Amino acid sequence: MKLSISKNVHLVEPGDFEPTDHWYPRVLNSNIHPLVSYFLNLTHEQLAERYHRLHPQSDLASILEILRYQPQYFRWAGTDLMHVTNHEGNRKLTVIETNSCPSGQKSMPLLDLNVEQGGYKRLIERTFKPMVNAHLMDGALAVIYDKNPMENIGYAATVADVFEENVFLAKFDKADIDPPVKFDDGTMYVRNEKEEWVKIRAAFRYVTQEPWNRLPKQTKTLILNPIEACLSGGRNKEIASAAYDVFNEQFKDKGIGIFTPKTFRKVKYAELQGHFDRLGGSMVIKVPDSNAGQGVYTVVSQKELDHAMSEINPDDEYLIQELIHSNFNKNLDPSKAWYHVGTIPDSKGRSFAFDLRLMMHATAEGIRPLAVYSRRSRFPLNQELPEDMNSWEVYGTNLSIKGEDGWTYADERLMLFDIRNFGQLGLGIDELIKGFIQSAMAVYAIDQNAIKTYGNSPIKDYFTTQNQES
Amino acid sequence: MNKKILIVEDDVVFCRLLTKFLSRNNFEVMDAQNGRDAFELMEMNEFKLAILDYRLPDMTGLEILEKLKSKSPGSKIILITRYGDQDIANQAIEKGADAFISKPINPNELLEVINKL
Repeated sequence: MKLSISKNVHLVEPGDFEPTDHWYPRVLNSNIHPLVSYFLNLTHEQLAERYHRLHPQSDLASILEILRYQPQYFRWAGTDLMHVTNHEGNRKLTVIETNSCPSGQKSMPLLDLNVEQGGYKRLIERTFKPMVNAHLMDGALAVIYDKNPMENIGYAATVADVFEENVFLAKFDKADIDPPVKFDDGTMYVRNEKEEWVKIRAAFRYVTQEPWNRLPKQTKTLILNPIEACLSGGRNKEIASAAYDVFNEQFKDKGIGIFTPKTFRKVKYAELQGHFDRLGGSMVIKVPDSNAGQGVYTVVSQKELDHAMSEINPDDEYLIQELIHSNFNKNLDPSKAWYHVGTIPDSKGRSFAFDLRLMMHATAEGIRPLAVYSRRSRFPLNQELPEDMNSWEVYGTNLSIKGEDGWTYADERLMLFDIRNFGQLGLGIDELIKGFIQSAMAVYAIDQNAIKTYGNSPIKDYFTTQNQES
Repeated sequence: MNKKILIVEDDVVFCRLLTKFLSRNNFEVMDAQNGRDAFELMEMNEFKLAILDYRLPDMTGLEILEKLKSKSPGSKIILITRYGDQDIANQAIEKGADAFISKPINPNELLEVINKL
């Protein structure tokens, strides 16, 4: 490894991967739950057949088509799901959002103790490498990022090992006025130790903050994921919601669909009060291109609505979703209301809302699950919220905490899918299957939206070279 | 555990990589991304060695060098400069730096420098 070959650029060499550097300490000492391991090893045929058993109206061939799908743009994704139930006890996994640069490796116990690079290696070897091999271009390899150094150093070290060559690890920050990454006619360059620009043939991308301001479309340098994946719904909740609707219309005769809380798009600032009243005094306001829990407001009172409206821009439009409720309320419409199932009550009787982050990647077989973990809320569902407490404490599951010395995370609320934590979530293998297939549908929907918007990508199938276009 | 080391460098990844590397080599390492945070750490800790980047967002590494030398005259200082910054390196030596190294930095070579001090 060579540190700081130029400002914010490091050169990572084969052999640099250090397992202790790329997982949270808790995860290094964890063992994957056998049920989770079993789930991750199920074949597409097993997953589809089981989903079909759970949803008898669903068309088996359509489920398989989605699982075997080869995304052209959106080849690495993460969904956030929530485990919900209704008045009749009908439990579902609902898609909250889909993310084009998902974190998760550092929270995932090893699937195979003999593969010490774990999910980092599965993603690079089974998804990135075939793409790079099919992309005939000379130049170096890079990992570009703006957050999450723990995972991105891990990715760079894994790319170096898998390709047996040095990898540029470059920070591409939105506030950097002289970034070490540039594009010229669609080709990416990274600044080296001689302050020269080095051509990049392929880059693994974890650039999350308004990436469309820095990454061009239709790049000649291969990028996982390209910006088209973000623009088509991978980083915009509004566009993703529209893509889900298209999917649901397309597959409604096949008995499958993406399940989300009831959503209202392009809601003007002045219309927020009306939505709040019509939805019975609760809702979720989302800034469409926000992420990591920022720009999302759970609203359960007029005071919270007023507060949210004081923080958001009156000139923008918002996504509104029905709140997933904490507890039964007879005033809610039984045909519409959904509730958090929550964690198994602890010894003090507390049950917490939690989400499920499911990371997926495109492999030769199609879309496969890669990593999974959960985050729980701070305040329990089944206790009365104190007057001075914001409802986000009950419904919000993001772990980021702003401290005096920067951002950190709430470790006590991270729920690993290991022997110790997984049972506390009350999830079974059927929920994991339902969640994964919901997630795969979301990826399919967003990728199809990208193809519709930007046309076919130059290489439609990275695993069969005859599909390459000249 | 070996010497307690302070790293001051505004690149978070640099700090992270070097901290992990030196920790694996049995050093106790603390890091700061700017001069202000470095001063706070220096108030609360006794460092035997500091590795200072010259260019920081709020001051230069030389200012931290002077502060650390006045607080702990026996502490050792390695200043990191950009390749070709000979003038800065000379200034650093005049102000009491024990070594300077130029970017890019090979952690193993840095370890050799640390072990010689």
